Amino acid sequence: MISFAWRTIGHRRAGFAGAFVALLCAAALVTACGMLLETGLRGAVAPERYAGAPVVLAGDQYARHTKANGKTKAKLLAERRWIPERIAAEVRRAPGVTKVVTEVTFPFAGFTAHGWESAALTPFTLASGRPPRAAGEVVVDARHRTAKIPGYRVVGVTAQALPSQDTIFFSTDEARRLAGRDGLVTAIGVFPRVDVKVDGALAYTGDARGTVEFLDAENARVKLISLGGALGGTSLLVAILVVAGTFALSIQQRRRELAMLRAVAATPRQIRKLIGGEALTISVVAGTIGAGGGILLGLWLRERFVALGAVPENLALVVSPFPALAALLATLAAAWTAARVSARRVARIRPVEALSEAALAAAGLPRARTVAGVLVLAGAVALTILLANLSVEAASSPVSMLTALVWTVAVVLLGPAIARAVTALPLRVPGAGGYLAHRNLRAGTGRLAAVIGPLTLMTAMTSTILFSPATLGHAAQQELNAGITADHVLDPGASAEAVRQAPGVRAATEVLRTTARIELEKYGVQAVTPDGLDRTMDLGVTAGSLDGFGGTSAAVSRTAADRLGVGVGDRLALTLGDGTPATVTIAAVYARGLGFADLTLPHELVADHVDDPRATVLVSGGERAALERALPGVTVRDRAEAAEAGTSNAAVTYVAMGLIIGFCAIAVVNTLAMSTSARSRELALLRMVGTTRRQILGMLRTETAVAAALAVTLGTGISLLTLAAFGAGMTGSATPYPQPLGYLGVVAATVALALAATAVPARFALRARPAEALAARE
Amino acid sequence: MTEVVRLNAVSKVYGKGHGAVAALREVSVGIPAGTFTAIMGPSGSGKSTFLHCAAGLDLPTSGSVRLGGTELAGMNETQLTELRRKRVGFVFQAFNLVGSLTVTENITLPLTLAGVRPDPAWLAEIVRRVGLDGRAGHRPAQLSGGQQQRVAIARALVTRPEVVFGDEPTGALDTMTARDVLVLLREVVSGLGQTVVMVTHDPVAASYADTVLFLADGRIVDSMSAPAADKVAERMTRLGAWT
Ligand SMILES: Nc1ncnc2c1ncn2[C@@H]1O[C@H](COP(=O)(O)OP(=O)(O)O)[C@@H](O)[C@H]1O
Ligand SMILES: [Mg+2]
Repeated sequence: MISFAWRTIGHRRAGFAGAFVALLCAAALVTACGMLLETGLRGAVAPERYAGAPVVLAGDQYARHTKANGKTKAKLLAERRWIPERIAAEVRRAPGVTKVVTEVTFPFAGFTAHGWESAALTPFTLASGRPPRAAGEVVVDARHRTAKIPGYRVVGVTAQALPSQDTIFFSTDEARRLAGRDGLVTAIGVFPRVDVKVDGALAYTGDARGTVEFLDAENARVKLISLGGALGGTSLLVAILVVAGTFALSIQQRRRELAMLRAVAATPRQIRKLIGGEALTISVVAGTIGAGGGILLGLWLRERFVALGAVPENLALVVSPFPALAALLATLAAAWTAARVSARRVARIRPVEALSEAALAAAGLPRARTVAGVLVLAGAVALTILLANLSVEAASSPVSMLTALVWTVAVVLLGPAIARAVTALPLRVPGAGGYLAHRNLRAGTGRLAAVIGPLTLMTAMTSTILFSPATLGHAAQQELNAGITADHVLDPGASAEAVRQAPGVRAATEVLRTTARIELEKYGVQAVTPDGLDRTMDLGVTAGSLDGFGGTSAAVSRTAADRLGVGVGDRLALTLGDGTPATVTIAAVYARGLGFADLTLPHELVADHVDDPRATVLVSGGERAALERALPGVTVRDRAEAAEAGTSNAAVTYVAMGLIIGFCAIAVVNTLAMSTSARSRELALLRMVGTTRRQILGMLRTETAVAAALAVTLGTGISLLTLAAFGAGMTGSATPYPQPLGYLGVVAATVALALAATAVPARFALRARPAEALAARE
Repeated sequence: MTEVVRLNAVSKVYGKGHGAVAALREVSVGIPAGTFTAIMGPSGSGKSTFLHCAAGLDLPTSGSVRLGGTELAGMNETQLTELRRKRVGFVFQAFNLVGSLTVTENITLPLTLAGVRPDPAWLAEIVRRVGLDGRAGHRPAQLSGGQQQRVAIARALVTRPEVVFGDEPTGALDTMTARDVLVLLREVVSGLGQTVVMVTHDPVAASYADTVLFLADGRIVDSMSAPAADKVAERMTRLGAWT
């Protein structure tokens, strides 16, 4: 059967091209996602600054939580966990240890700053000058030998510079002062390589030292795991849908040949084997080529993510054969599934069909398909309800993709019924082309159903992908617009004291952004200075009050309070960004959690537990010009600008999900081109009986336009439902926000693509003289 | 004479309730071995349905069909297929061949599907008899309509079936080519002792048969031995075929 399948594929290249392209794209997407995922799981960053220290002792960067059932879960901390300096003294006494080096790390004017005490960790050596001794002296790395550091004197230049960070050294005491963590250090280097075990710190060796040095790489790794997983899963589902669609179409087009085979001597099982053999053969070839292309796609994706700042430059992509192999297997599985589904239909082809003269239309909607359609529809409803109850973006985003997909699957399954219902409507387009189109649509509901599948998929997926961040962003924007009552907003780096001294300033609130975990669940945190808070922001307090905010008080957004089941007066145990536990008392519950943050904590509680303590400052009163004069080099924004900048950046999602949109577009072109080119005989016949080329093109255009209109309506419905549920869960309001222009763009692009994918193959088909086209056997 | 095909009180009803169409009504007939039978009748009279039921392509609503002594009632699709594979050959009006296969591969297709090796001597013999010498490696698209029907006839013969069925096998051919194909079918019956049952609406085609059975409204209404084209045409006119 396989050799027979191979022959058939060779002969009917056009019919299989659709499935081939779909499988190829699927393999490429899955490979690329697999590479991201693998990098997330196994990616390592080589240490730079710690390269010279055989063992690095540093904090455990994970918050760990043991559940009642004894299972321990660990989540990455957002900020660096510092360790007590006394560990150094303890280690110094350990057997075999010859040298112990402590260090502190903190940001300083674009540099990564340390005390000169830790130069040996790299090791850094001086090329010129001398080490910093006094508080006002610094040493810079070789790349910055000519740099001017305001307020400091450069007394030396190192012989080295690190590839992915700019380094500055202060005197040891000054560094400790600037870092501002009494009795704590970032890391402790131990020489030579010996096993050390201490309480309160973990020992890192080899490439693991890089994870301590580059916490952002660890963050990026975790992000890559979830992004790669979501993207890979979505593309796999889309692939199965698209491939099943193209297979079904190609089988529909070969109905007569298969019926003939059945009549002559092939059992239903042999036909199923033939179809399966074709599917496997195509998927091996398409999967192999696609997986190769996927490696390039993965490299390109990483480059985009680096450019967008989502992945650090020094986190290299892990390249191994596993993603390509997994993609090949996934493609085989997708093709096999698609073939199984289509083969059900084939087994029903009655051999008698081969003997009838007319090309028979597919029989009525089979019971199993209707049942499956209704079941999937129920699943879609259930998912929509679930989505409406999810208030964490990390869960909500992938579920919204899944919801849109499942709705689309329901539409595809029930497509023939929908097509029949719609074509039964007494609508007519004027002209001969319109008349023919109307008749064709009515007679060929199977073809219409096959075409609306990918078109609906494209509209639904594109709208959902584009407008779920927009819905969220719009809601956050609205809250910020209403909630920022300050007149000016200063970018991080401004001294709050200087601001308060500036003329006309009535109040200044410092705002730090970080995260905290409550039982490992991550919550956004804004830490604010309470003085004059009522003049700079209005969180929309619904219960309790922010009067006397400070110490260990906290305010919680309504969404978070609902999720946690807490209210005013309750105590809340949380883990700060750097792993320090804290217990706070809830003073207020507020409405505008989306625009600001789920948790509002006092600045004094949080400031010592973030890597970058420079705060944004909200200013009430004062003149912009005066502020700019008082604070040279600080960006001053007005309220509207600040609200604009405060909304989330969805660029990474757009890049990743853009691939899925592209895939859907390919599916649209595929299906329409297949469906149109399979009609060349019919078109030739129409021309023989005197239909003009213009009338034929008009007919095809009308048919496609009807299909596109139907699909756009269905797709819009699906995405509106999905977005409403997404909005209800995330923002508490079920009003989706499809940007009007963006939506029009989606619709226009879908319709234009559909028309083009019909017109081009139609023109090809019309190029042959009708008599020749008719003579050519099917 | 032994009967290769035997139909007893065969009825076939399409659809249910109000829209039901009785395509065959209580048809009983036997086809003797080694004869050439033509089935004629007006359009819609049940010719194709008769053929489908007799050939095991479709099961009748009621009645019994025996093919070479085997009762078809109660067989499932796979059993029917295996029976057709061994005992029945088909020639359709058009779309007979698999475009991706060569002439030889198309001819031996039923054997390939059954997992049986073709007998080279027999294959050479039928290729010669149907006049396809030197065309063995061609694809269907490189053949004329008449040649394609010859390939189909060769394929129908390759399993040495008990009976070959044809549904308007010359319906899509011009007069001259059609005559060649009919001569070939006649020769298959006379020279090889093959049984052939052919549906046609063409009196000239029917005149090549030993017996013509006339169908009207789902019933066999008449039969004619050693038919002449003008007699057949006259009988058809009386059945209302050309009025
Ligand atoms: N699959 C079918 N479903 C419903 N009615 C059918 C079907 N096939 C044939 N018929 C009807 O049965 C009758 C006999 O058809 P058929 O055997 O094809 O006639 P013939 O081949 O003599 O033209 C006709 O009235 C036809 O409409
Ligand atoms: Mg007929």
